[in-house]
Amino acid sequence: MVDADPSTVRMNLSRRDARDKLLGRTNYTVDRAYPRMLHAAIRRADVASARIVRLDTTRARQMPGVRAIATIDDAPGMHGIGIADHPLFASGVIRFHGEQIAAVAADTLEQAEAAAAAIELELEPLPAVLTMEEALAPGAPLVHPGWKDYEILVEGAARGGNVAWEATVIRGDTDAAFARDDVTIVESCFRVGRQNHVSLEGRAVVAAFEDGRYRIETSTQVPWTVRNQTAKLLGVAPSMVQVTVPPVGGGFGQKFDCTLEPYAAILARKSGRPVRLVYSRQEEMLTCLCRENADIKMRSAVTGDGEIVGREAVVLMDCGAYGGEQIFLTTMTAHTLTGNYRLGSVKLVSRAVYTNTAPNGAFRACNGVYNTFAMECHTDEICQAIGMDPLEFRRRQVLGDGDIGATGQVFEGDVLGPMLDRMEAMRARSPSKKDEAGDRLYGRATVVGTWFVFVGPSTATINLNADGSATLITAAVEIGQGTTVQALPQIVAHELGIHPDKVIVRGADTDAAGFDLGVGGGRTTVSVGAASKAAARVVRDRILETAGELLQTKPEKLVLKEGRVEIAGVPGSGMTIAQVVQRAHQVSGPVVGSGSFTNPGTAAMPGCAAGHFIDAIDIPVFNVHDCEVAVDPDTGHVDILSYRVVQDVGRALNPRAIHGQIQGGVTQGIGYALHEEHTIGDDGCIRQNSLETYRVPLALDTLPIEIELYEGAPSIGPLGVKGAGEVPILNPPAALACAIRNATGCRVQQTPMTPPRILGYMTGHEPALELPHIAEDWWDNVLMTPPAR
Amino acid sequence: MPTFLTVNGEQKVSMRAPMTPLIDVLREEFQLTGAKNVCREGICGACTVLVDGRPVVSCLVPVGSIPNAEVRTVESLADDGELSPLQRIMEEHDVVQCGMCFPGILMALTSFFKECPHADKDEIRAALVGNICRCTGYERLIDAAVALAKSS
Repeated sequence: MVDADPSTVRMNLSRRDARDKLLGRTNYTVDRAYPRMLHAAIRRADVASARIVRLDTTRARQMPGVRAIATIDDAPGMHGIGIADHPLFASGVIRFHGEQIAAVAADTLEQAEAAAAAIELELEPLPAVLTMEEALAPGAPLVHPGWKDYEILVEGAARGGNVAWEATVIRGDTDAAFARDDVTIVESCFRVGRQNHVSLEGRAVVAAFEDGRYRIETSTQVPWTVRNQTAKLLGVAPSMVQVTVPPVGGGFGQKFDCTLEPYAAILARKSGRPVRLVYSRQEEMLTCLCRENADIKMRSAVTGDGEIVGREAVVLMDCGAYGGEQIFLTTMTAHTLTGNYRLGSVKLVSRAVYTNTAPNGAFRACNGVYNTFAMECHTDEICQAIGMDPLEFRRRQVLGDGDIGATGQVFEGDVLGPMLDRMEAMRARSPSKKDEAGDRLYGRATVVGTWFVFVGPSTATINLNADGSATLITAAVEIGQGTTVQALPQIVAHELGIHPDKVIVRGADTDAAGFDLGVGGGRTTVSVGAASKAAARVVRDRILETAGELLQTKPEKLVLKEGRVEIAGVPGSGMTIAQVVQRAHQVSGPVVGSGSFTNPGTAAMPGCAAGHFIDAIDIPVFNVHDCEVAVDPDTGHVDILSYRVVQDVGRALNPRAIHGQIQGGVTQGIGYALHEEHTIGDDGCIRQNSLETYRVPLALDTLPIEIELYEGAPSIGPLGVKGAGEVPILNPPAALACAIRNATGCRVQQTPMTPPRILGYMTGHEPALELPHIAEDWWDNVLMTPPAR
Repeated sequence: MPTFLTVNGEQKVSMRAPMTPLIDVLREEFQLTGAKNVCREGICGACTVLVDGRPVVSCLVPVGSIPNAEVRTVESLADDGELSPLQRIMEEHDVVQCGMCFPGILMALTSFFKECPHADKDEIRAALVGNICRCTGYERLIDAAVALAKSS
């Protein structure tokens, strides 16, 4: 088969949705309104832990404009990842400040809010555990006393008490490694705070109940998850729920779960009218499914030439009151905290811990960001202990072709090594900005990172139209990342020999497109892209077959190019694709093709990982970041003087769009590193309830990121692509912490690296972080029993 | 009490209570959904519109406080469907991502460029400090604005 026109696949195609976004015409979920539409409000808990003695909606029902009220009686089901531990409404007990107790639909939002406030609630206080240290203390109150009775959705993990989920990796003999007399042992502790996505469009939904089915229009990244979870919570068949997704005003992982959709769905059924539910900014700040706070203790046994012969680590992830995404993310600790470098042996435990705080969730590169921060800081502490230059250490120890990862998977190709070389060349090309530091302390660091593409199943269908255009039907969602307006049309166009502008991409609709895991984990270009390519391949074969008959030429002698089928080497000999489609209508019917994709699975070392959702990563993605900082010795303020990125993208289909993702992702990572943080008050409520107290990067905080895309690393993605949008955020906290350490000589143990904290390090007023709730002996931190010792 | 306004050149009457934020009048009463409700506290700038030529965060402006004012929203920037030079340069530079912040950013910059058409990069950066963008990391949209300032 002759290849399609290769000139169309790599291009800086502009976004087709940009114009309406600039005109203010884009119709996001928050902009949608329908005749007879009601407005919904949620009654939330204002305590962290209590028993519900009485819930009475009688008075609220009689309030003006009220059309429906939903409570736990309307939603019998439980949902979750790994374990079904999460009811839609507080069920008998309140487990976090802000938990949903009832939902009200009324003619106006003000009426709904007034009625929600009028719901009578009698509570009996219960003790709360607000930190992981409290939750893990002997005799601590249990957030879920009935944890043993929950439905298990994924088998194989240890659970118990306030430990919602425990994932472990045990490979090789760390006891022997640490007992060697030729090793230096380096131990480090780290603590990170919560990060809020601050999607400018908060969570929003409009639901209706029509013809006996729920129709949900929502600002989500995961239409199929919303469909399935809503059905589970409402106790109906998933086929009773349709989910469509308008343009989404930012996601960053926040919308990677079903959240507010079921409330609107119940209220729509009860009222018989469309119901709109939009979380206020305050609700978004207090209950947003943040990147979780975490505590990390790790130690490594390292030889004088930098070989890491053993590592033991304990990672505690605060999942809040319900397990959610943190259950899955316990898996990813293995591939980040023990990624990057060759390791002789490893013992690693990653625990999702229940607390009486707002549940956390997924956020762009998730726990990979803080695990990379911890590991790269730890790596520099190792370098100091053994007296090796950090860059030299990285050059020697990064994973290369044939090396094994934490869970024993075999890595293919030398990627990080050549990427380090590329960064060195990039650094050499432009002079150091040390002079700009002036009287301030100057520091620089180059760090590496390993993340993955969350591959998983996708499907696509393509209708080839009689005008030569193609309609691509998938469940992919446009959250701003550009995949549905750039990469997907480019991939399909490449296969069909048409211009990407001729590829119509249908918005996500679970009634039209088949199953998909959703937009997240850098997977859309890879998984939906592969399914789309497979569908296009079917369509392409149909075109060539029909055209072959018309042109009396074998299909393999034909090429598709610029909307035409031509006999290879004879331009102008053929006909337009539109003509072929019209012919097909007469002889064999319309031209349609479907394709599916899922990851083939990558082998790990049998028996070394327990409680993991995936034992190995199908598509690793690598980063090298470099930054220069100036630290003010009087204030602790950090200025970033330069920031450089070499990112492994597999193959760049739209380099300009990837640059946009890198600039944006690095900026979000810098915010997390330097000033973004949610903290929890004594009442269990998140302290930062607005954008005034939660500080995101502004235009005066940013700098242009210098970028090089590293192409050619192995990937199972279509055309060799990897996801490029998620991973830019992986390394900024690591890069900044290592650079600050080099500038100040002080060990960085916590994020965010605010001026008071950095000043505290320099003056000795910031106490060294200790994590007394993590035991010295690794085995004392796990539920599983050690083998006889 | 009705409030008379000129919105994007058209005579309009709001029947909402005087303390109603202008953003709610624009979005709900006049169906001009370009300006966005993001924080409702005057911090993010996504609801920025021009009132008598000056940029304001419309979430903090009670409609009753601006009787007979001339209001311009993002919907007014393109004359007869032709993008304004600012909109065009943003499109050409492919800087839009989720797009929620742009209605506010365009209004802030439109007003700024009227005062300072030849502004340099630092001035443009400072002019954007009241507008939060969570996707782009600002630099590329600042570069686009700089290109516009240089060409004017």
